[in-house]
Amino acid sequence: MRWLFSFVLATLLAAVHAVSYTGSRLLVVLEDAAEKEKYGVFLGDLESRGYHITTESPKSDKLSLFKHGERAYDHVLLLPSKAKGLGPALTANLLLEFMKKEGNILLALSSENGTPSSVNSLLLELDIHIPSDKGAVVVDHFNYDSTSAAEKHDVLLLPFPKALRPDVKNYFGGEGVIAVPRAVGQVLGNDSPLLAPVLRAPSTAYSYNPKDESDIVEDPFAVGAQLNLVSVLQAHNSARLAVLGSAEVLQNAWFAEKATLNGQAVKTANRDFSEKLTSWTFKETGVLKVGKLLHYQDEGVSKKLNTSGALPENNPQIYRIKSDVAFQVELSEYSKTHLVPFVPADSDVVQLEFSMLSPFHRLNLTPISKTANATIFGVSFKTPDQHGIFNFRVNYRRPFLTNIEEKRQVTVRHFAHDEWPRSWQISGAWVWIGGIWVTVFGWLAFVAVWLWSAPAEKTVKKTQ
Amino acid sequence: MRFLSTTITSFLLSSACLVSAASSWGFEDATLTVQTKGAGVGAGVKEKLSSSAPLAKSVKLGATDTLKLLITTTDGKKAKQPHQAFLTLTDPTTGVEESFVFSVKESGKGKVDLTQKDLPFQFLTSSKPIPASIVIGSFGSSTPYQARVFDLNIARDPNVPLAVPAAPERYTAENEIHHIFRDDPKSPPKIITLVFTAAVLAAVPILLGVWATLGANLNHLSKAFSNAPISHALFFGSILAMEGIFFLYYTTWNLFQTLPAAGVVGLVAFLSGSRALTEVQERRLAGLR
Repeated sequence: MRWLFSFVLATLLAAVHAVSYTGSRLLVVLEDAAEKEKYGVFLGDLESRGYHITTESPKSDKLSLFKHGERAYDHVLLLPSKAKGLGPALTANLLLEFMKKEGNILLALSSENGTPSSVNSLLLELDIHIPSDKGAVVVDHFNYDSTSAAEKHDVLLLPFPKALRPDVKNYFGGEGVIAVPRAVGQVLGNDSPLLAPVLRAPSTAYSYNPKDESDIVEDPFAVGAQLNLVSVLQAHNSARLAVLGSAEVLQNAWFAEKATLNGQAVKTANRDFSEKLTSWTFKETGVLKVGKLLHYQDEGVSKKLNTSGALPENNPQIYRIKSDVAFQVELSEYSKTHLVPFVPADSDVVQLEFSMLSPFHRLNLTPISKTANATIFGVSFKTPDQHGIFNFRVNYRRPFLTNIEEKRQVTVRHFAHDEWPRSWQISGAWVWIGGIWVTVFGWLAFVAVWLWSAPAEKTVKKTQ
Repeated sequence: MRFLSTTITSFLLSSACLVSAASSWGFEDATLTVQTKGAGVGAGVKEKLSSSAPLAKSVKLGATDTLKLLITTTDGKKAKQPHQAFLTLTDPTTGVEESFVFSVKESGKGKVDLTQKDLPFQFLTSSKPIPASIVIGSFGSSTPYQARVFDLNIARDPNVPLAVPAAPERYTAENEIHHIFRDDPKSPPKIITLVFTAAVLAAVPILLGVWATLGANLNHLSKAFSNAPISHALFFGSILAMEGIFFLYYTTWNLFQTLPAAGVVGLVAFLSGSRALTEVQERRLAGLR
């Protein structure tokens, strides 16, 4: 009950001024306008969070993701349609092009309607695999809703997902159970670091096609936690794509429905989950922003730093090898309405690379201080004993967070002629210095003797 | 454990509410055999599995062994074909799961074969025994069955290299790199330096001593200064000054301070030197040298 209250409170607060970091134009692609009713609460929630929703049918002539070569919308929500194809405005190529221009896509699949061919080839391109046969569903005989699917076991009731790894922040956590009715399971390719599972099927779940004749599952598409019910991709340009295995998750009918899990009455928290999923996909959460980046020669004395946000960065262009350098960067995270100081997950660190071709230093940045909406991370180090053109590089890529790649180029010069230790400070040089002094003294003595010496005794001369 | 308790509660609850839901899935007549390739029939390990308690000792699966598991699935007391009958292996360290499907006939008799070739590499490299559980479930109201039935101990042939694929790239914090600096240049021990410095400095008294034995002296100093005091003083002074300029160049001056000073002192040395040397020549012509 408490989560419901806090959620209502959050929604009320959010209604005032929440909006995505990148824009509020949302295109909802829905074939049948009558179906819109089913998603009424969900779309109402989005609208109250500040999105300007345009609903279009894939068949509509007016539908285009681009206008004058630029994105016409910031986000797209693709709801399942009965048609096999989505028409010329929503080809896989155009959807990828939309992502290349940093548009975000939420893709809702449904096992009742087949997956359109353009969506199929889009997912294939991204190394997300879904069952090829229409109608395949994920079932689990252990975690199903015995109220609505007592016989078919295809309405899964799952807890909110936990953090993917200990060093990854969880943007999808919550309390309660999520009802996932008749989901299309996805299997993610193992090679891409851009893909991440959000909601995994439980270990006893499997995907099968009810149209199969056999009474026993013989060759399931995928089994257990390999099956994802919700998976996401974040491209190199931080454009986001979320694949939701079951569009019914977003429907009013499941938003706060009474269900029975293993004999216990529960209430579904789909409204909370769909809020979390859309706010991540449409960049209300998990968006990082780099503020001021400072580096300076650490001279060991207190120096007034250019930390004001109003002034431009004024960093040195050149450093000497083996000199002490301090580095600072401000990182903020966008959280629904405003920027807050970014705090990495517990076992995660932001790292600085000082690199020329390859990193010479890769150092963990530690939070030094916090401003109202940024954490200042910093580290001090000694420039390497190699001159050249170096970069201060912060390349921070983590699942569910937008990518940060910041570079500042500096020259690292070698010692100037007057920065070396003097020869008398080097004990090995004393012999040579002594030799020079002996020569100087000998020369002066020679000049004096040559100028002023009287001839030696005659006797000596005679013997010669 | 928690799962068991939930199953029990759910069992109790469902039996309390619905009489028809009392049945639950399970299995009986489960035999596990491990057959080594080449060994005779019946030579391998043979174990009976129980649906209520896991096998006490772990089952060893060698490189050429085939594990064969025969079960009869039951719903309640009756043998029946379920929709799902999996043998699920879970690696305790990495959490990798792999399920093998029993091919169950309508009579409820099911079979699964397992060799090392069927297993993903995580299982082959695991040091701990791998828990194997049987999952039986089907549509309808019967309670599904899931329990650990035995532990699989995989004995790899250490002579056969295992192709472990490179770990796929994942975005995470990387290891720190600290630049390793070259060593500073080193000087020899000070005592050696001091000995050789002393040897070099000793050249001065030796030189002076040798000159003295050869009869070098400064006896004409007063004569020279009485004949041409200014040029002698200036000439020797300019040579001293030139050394002083070199010393200053060594310590503090730069080239642009050194060159004009050296020019001035050099001119003085040139002019006064010709006079001083003329005086020396006069002494030689007078037969004094």
